[in-house]
Amino acid sequence: MEFKQVLGNRRSIRYFEPDRPVEKEKIQVMLEAANRASRSGNIDYWKALVVYRDELSPELIDQMRVPTTTADLDLAPVYIFWFADMSYADPANFQKNLKELVSVGALNPSHGWSDAYVDDVVIGTVIKPLLSDTQTVAWMGTLETGLAICQAMLAGVDEGLGVCLHAYNAEPVKAAFGLPDHWVPCWVLLVGYPAEHPQTGGQRPRRSISTSAYLNNLNTPWPEDPTTTERLKREGLIQDPVDIPGRMEEVRGLAQRFGLPE
Amino acid sequence: MTPEDVAAAATVRRWLASVALQDASAQDRDRRLALLADFCRHTGQSPDELVHGCLRTTKAGDTAISAKRRTAMNATIDEFVAERGLDGRDAVVTGNTLRSFLVHNGIFIQGRAWRG
Repeated sequence: MEFKQVLGNRRSIRYFEPDRPVEKEKIQVMLEAANRASRSGNIDYWKALVVYRDELSPELIDQMRVPTTTADLDLAPVYIFWFADMSYADPANFQKNLKELVSVGALNPSHGWSDAYVDDVVIGTVIKPLLSDTQTVAWMGTLETGLAICQAMLAGVDEGLGVCLHAYNAEPVKAAFGLPDHWVPCWVLLVGYPAEHPQTGGQRPRRSISTSAYLNNLNTPWPEDPTTTERLKREGLIQDPVDIPGRMEEVRGLAQRFGLPE
Repeated sequence: MTPEDVAAAATVRRWLASVALQDASAQDRDRRLALLADFCRHTGQSPDELVHGCLRTTKAGDTAISAKRRTAMNATIDEFVAERGLDGRDAVVTGNTLRSFLVHNGIFIQGRAWRG
């Protein structure tokens, strides 16, 4: 699928084919996409625990349920638990990885980088102070993990899967799998083949980019170029909004199929 | 409490107006009302009391869902379904029909899905 079509096609899928197996190859594609995400200092911030629903005990699934994530856990065949690994916050990790980036020419003298700069200056005057602030450590760890999750989601869409991020009760999962305390739970990504139409009747409402983006100063909303907007429609990034009557009929049918509240 | 009594409750009128039952048969509507009436008898509460029992008022005066009472409500629904001797799809659908009444009255509550 073309990249912009993938971006335009992504939806939060809430009805999955509960018993259609998800190929491990496709999960690997998602994980590799996560691994390719932008990451400051080339640090491994994210951890993922992939679990096939039917490998979990019903008791553990029950313990994971929160009011917003109940039926979804029954329907999705695969759960990917994402964590920000806070053990990243060690200056030695940054020293090693930054020097690796210097050695492969990613960080280069053109921009002021050298092994000496990393060893003699950056670690002591930038990294150590940064990592001594717990709020910054938490912000950076979860932000960078979010970038990885986003790429995994888009890769899943490209593979024909449905994905949706959810809250869950993390403590039973941590206990059941012996996960370390420095793995901070982010979300669980539910994965499976959509039981609903993958485009769910159309794109969900979004405000214009000019309500969030500005040009040069905050008095100038981003001036949208209609020609570009039209191109993005042709390329699938901008799609028709939801056909509400059709969507409501689909939702009713799905509720009846799965015995869920109408 | 009869289905007619139940149908007169404000929360039930809200449910029927909100849930997509425009195309449903009178028989289907009556079946849902009869089920809710049975549940009201089981709990000894009116439909309005079922809804308001899941809510609480915060110190700031806002309406919030009581997590404890919602958990208790889910358990009561499961117990009611079990006492009727239902299992499989019938059990799931019956419980979720009652949850539909709560959902359309602002109670965020989820039951299980039927996977066949």
